Amino acid sequence: MSEDGFLHESKVSTTPDDPSRAVIEGVAALLDEIGRSATSVAEVLHGTTVGSNAILQRTGAPTGLITTMGFRDVLEIGRIRMPEMFDLTWAKPKPLVARRHRIEVPERIAADGSVVRPLDEAAVDAAARVLAEQGIEAVAICFINSYRNPVHEQRAERIVRAAVPSFEVTTSSAVLPEMKEYERTSTTVVNAYLLKAMRGYLDRLQSGLRRIGIAAPVLVMTSNGGMLPAAEACRLPAFVVASGPAGGVIGGARLGEALNESDVIVFDMGGTTAKAVIVEDGRPSMTSEYEFRDGISTSSRFIKAGGYMLKVPAIDIAEVGAGGGSLAGMDGGGLLRVGPESAGADPGPACYRRGNDRPTVTDANVALGLYNPTALAGGRLAIDRASAIAAVERHVARPLGISVDAGAHGIRAVANAAMARAIRAVTVERGRDPRDMALIAIGGSGGAHAADIARLLGIGRIVIPPLAGVFSSVGMLSADVEHNFVHTMLCRLRGIELQSMATTMAGLAEAARARLAGDGYAADRIQLDWYAEVRYEGQASELSIRFAPGPEAIETLARDFAAEYRRTYGYEDETAPELVKLRLVGRGLRDRRLDFAAMRTASHGRKTVQTVRLASFARDQAPVQTPILDRAALDEQPRRGPLIVEEFDVTIVVPPDAVARRHPLGSIIIELETTT
Amino acid sequence: MTVDPITFAVVKSGFDSIVDDMAYTVIRIARSEIVKDVMDFSAALCDADGQMVAQAKTIALHLGAVPEAIAEVIAKFGDDLHEGDAVIINDPYHGGMHLPDIFMFVPIFHDGRRRAFAVVICHQTDVGGRVPGSNASDSTEIYQEGLRIPPLKLFERGVVNRTLEEMIKINVRVPDRVWGDIRSQYAACQVGQRGLEKLIDRYGADAIAGYMQELIQYAERLTREEIRRWPKGTYHFLDHIDDDGFTDTPIPIKVAITVREDSLLVDYTGSSPQVRAALNSTRSYTQSCTYLSVRCVLPRDVPNNVGVFRCIEIKVPEGSILDPRLPGATAARALTGYRVFDAMLGALAQIVPDRVPAAGEGGNSVICISGLKPDRRPFIIVDMICGAWGGRPDQDGVEAITNPSQNLSNMPVEIMEAEHPVRVEEYALVEDSGGAGKWRGGLGIKRSYRLLAPEAVLQLRSDRVKFRPYGLAGGQPGGASHNELAVGDEVRQLPGKVTMTLVADNVIRHRQAGGGGFGRPRERDPELIREDVIDGKISRACAVRDYGVVIDAAGRIDVEATRTARRGLPA
Repeated sequence: MSEDGFLHESKVSTTPDDPSRAVIEGVAALLDEIGRSATSVAEVLHGTTVGSNAILQRTGAPTGLITTMGFRDVLEIGRIRMPEMFDLTWAKPKPLVARRHRIEVPERIAADGSVVRPLDEAAVDAAARVLAEQGIEAVAICFINSYRNPVHEQRAERIVRAAVPSFEVTTSSAVLPEMKEYERTSTTVVNAYLLKAMRGYLDRLQSGLRRIGIAAPVLVMTSNGGMLPAAEACRLPAFVVASGPAGGVIGGARLGEALNESDVIVFDMGGTTAKAVIVEDGRPSMTSEYEFRDGISTSSRFIKAGGYMLKVPAIDIAEVGAGGGSLAGMDGGGLLRVGPESAGADPGPACYRRGNDRPTVTDANVALGLYNPTALAGGRLAIDRASAIAAVERHVARPLGISVDAGAHGIRAVANAAMARAIRAVTVERGRDPRDMALIAIGGSGGAHAADIARLLGIGRIVIPPLAGVFSSVGMLSADVEHNFVHTMLCRLRGIELQSMATTMAGLAEAARARLAGDGYAADRIQLDWYAEVRYEGQASELSIRFAPGPEAIETLARDFAAEYRRTYGYEDETAPELVKLRLVGRGLRDRRLDFAAMRTASHGRKTVQTVRLASFARDQAPVQTPILDRAALDEQPRRGPLIVEEFDVTIVVPPDAVARRHPLGSIIIELETTT
Repeated sequence: MTVDPITFAVVKSGFDSIVDDMAYTVIRIARSEIVKDVMDFSAALCDADGQMVAQAKTIALHLGAVPEAIAEVIAKFGDDLHEGDAVIINDPYHGGMHLPDIFMFVPIFHDGRRRAFAVVICHQTDVGGRVPGSNASDSTEIYQEGLRIPPLKLFERGVVNRTLEEMIKINVRVPDRVWGDIRSQYAACQVGQRGLEKLIDRYGADAIAGYMQELIQYAERLTREEIRRWPKGTYHFLDHIDDDGFTDTPIPIKVAITVREDSLLVDYTGSSPQVRAALNSTRSYTQSCTYLSVRCVLPRDVPNNVGVFRCIEIKVPEGSILDPRLPGATAARALTGYRVFDAMLGALAQIVPDRVPAAGEGGNSVICISGLKPDRRPFIIVDMICGAWGGRPDQDGVEAITNPSQNLSNMPVEIMEAEHPVRVEEYALVEDSGGAGKWRGGLGIKRSYRLLAPEAVLQLRSDRVKFRPYGLAGGQPGGASHNELAVGDEVRQLPGKVTMTLVADNVIRHRQAGGGGFGRPRERDPELIREDVIDGKISRACAVRDYGVVIDAAGRIDVEATRTARRGLPA
């Protein structure tokens, strides 16, 4: 974003050996293209998959764990469940720290925080030396009940650092002072495992940026959509693992506000997966834990197995294994399946003609005429429609005894149903009616499927923002710096001692202000948001309720919680509400935050030729001659479908029963006429 | 009805998502650890006649019992079922399994016609009776085990039946938890109802009913196709429960599977008569275990519904431990079910040997500790210990894992300590407990508890102390279970099934069996043995004794010594 508010974009392929190289080259090329000097850059905002890739590819540092006597296997035991039933072939993923590198030391804290058995300091020293001999580079320290009293962990950290100064060390009480030993241990281990990779990467990125003349501070997007100064991200990489998709969600939330849509569903459809998040009152829905795993997350969010548990605040994303590259075919029982296997970017869909002859969702779109028959990506990627048709014919249409068009619509329908399931998971499942919300569709394939998915869910309005294909980057421009502070309360809401709660809150507020002041935020650019995690006594999960400090806080909280509970679960409960945690989000409001109400894009001059072609929009309707337009060809005057908007990064499909217009802020708004 | 393949795929995933939504609702709002942490509950959707169509990823073994239970509901109420009704059952002699499992059935209507049932089953922390937790294995009559509920309406047209509510609350030790969990069942059934209504709105009630039948037939078709490929014949297997806790007599579970053209006959003739202790498994539960065992060796894409059940005929001797008569006690019937599963897999291993693992731990152990907190409020811990799988035809057994016939979780130590007066002193894998084999059985789990209250009742149910989990294809059996009580420095051995009083500072230690091995131990890759030794999963002594592999002090394989030692092993 330049100082005049224009956005300039560029999309480059990653450089897997050192991802920072592509970033730096891309930035340099873009600056060159728009004629700006490197020294004029004031801030660099960055989202990264370095954390998630290090876990997936097992390239984190060799990590050791020092833990309480008797609990060496907590990390390996996990939560015992399996992700799929009846599967006797399932293999449990290996823990990030092998058993030989998990060392017990005598010590014990009780559930009330009292010391049952003092820390054996000599044993900690010896453990550190053994780990060093084993070639360990990072050490996680996690003791039972340390969330109540961190004193043993803190002491052990000092001893380990003294014994082996080269170690990266993380204590669980510094990363996650919360109950449940497996979740805390796992989070701490992931943090330790990633410290080196994250620091190495961000160091390379920053020095590379300096090399091309950019000395501006680097901020990194966290899993919960806040920006963290790079130094903090280096200390707490566990909070940055889901950095990649977060920017688009934050952008969707801010864009919704600019369009006066405070409740929206952000739907991000890429090549391999599709993700959905709801935004209410301008805030994305958050979760306090998630499982990071190989392959595709199942939509069963209560399954704890087969992944690496991270109990950190994260945007609550439902993800399904359906995207543009998802492969379609018949299963053993004669049922059409789409995904979760993907053709990826290489070899890619059949129409790429790079060695894959099975049809993907993209091939279905090409076969139906919804996508350009000769080239994608604004003309940069040549494709072959005949190959797409042949793939659909051979693997779907013929086995089912239906036409190619019917088969291609079948692929779209199955993929759309799966993606609708992700949206349902974040709406219906939480008592939210998707029909009350607009759907913001982003990602490379979002624009081609949004209308059909909206129809499945009864959603009436779709928003396709400008730069929809690179919207994750756009979104980061609109984010704030965020620091999270948590204090476990665990007491009845109505029995709270107001004085002690006030003291606790004052302490948290002071810590937040100090941290933000350190990041360079003046008092008037600091905002403190308070949340209470509340549940009925005895329950395992809380609802997060926002509140304002003050004498009425408890009463308001109790009332808001009861209302939220009724909304979510459909009944009122008569038992006592319990305050589990106080959470403070300290926000540093960035001066140059993107304001979507004033957003302008510079990506003009890439017009596709305006033309018509035959496109098929529904299985039971004949293909129709469809105008192919540029976004700029639309204006505020609603225009009836069918029409297709082709841009350099997305294709937007407006079916016959819909109207489309261009909002003054640049987004294309599609309204469906018939919704249920 | 013409089946549209696309709509079929969409509706099928719609059913899956409804039952998962139901299960998630239960987890979010249930009150007791046994439900919200251990996840001993299940959710399903049945058609208008009560035929199960889809089930959530929860306790597999509950759901084969749904057909019998719902038959009782329909037999009793017929057309007297209305929108907003919820029928509950727990009585094993009226379609239930054991008293702690309360079934709830909510009929779903559209345009005045019943179209489906939403079903949620939760294991309640307590349903009264002589022992806290209502789960003792040493009860001798159902009347000792707690409150029996025949099919009764807990909700009538959306209004709770206060009489029944009060009867339940007054009969159980922790009414807030039990009632909170029952409420979660009702809320989940309503979620199921709303989900199905949306599908019906979209596709029409008749189409949805048609696709429910199609989904059942689809499962049946896949199952019959699969069985048609199996070698015809009759296959036998015999396994045992150690004893019933009153005598030392082993309890045989005997099965014969006959593979017919495209169906199975499973015959339990020769299994033990009904026993005095609470190990009797109702016919419905026996059937459930049978279906589940077969389902585990079917291809993964077969939907689990009544279509699979239709391909399996089951013969159970009347008055046996697998089909008891009143007043037989049933609280600990899960153990018997696990042994049915083990025996079934033992027989199936002869039919599809490349798909069946050696025996696992033999079912979760149950450790129930209950008493009064210092403030006189009652506490009940119902902890379930899992688990280990046996070695498999191409890989080691999983360790620290639910029994595949369930999908249990574990109770976090820190939650248990924060809510109950106990301290857990150890929760770990048991070295050398995995049965030796080319593919090693998973290690067992151990957990120990120190009582911090002045007094408590312990009720411990474990098995596989005498009859260890079997190995297959030349693999060794897994390590045995073991229980002990530590009073100061003195350690006393305990039997597999115990009900006793503990006093402050007593420590109970349970060590669970490990999985059996698969294939001959001498064929195991010495490198895997070396890794296990370095990780402390097997001892050096075990490496030599069971595998003939000698690992030196530096963690290297001593090739010479290994060659000699392996010569001494059985071929």
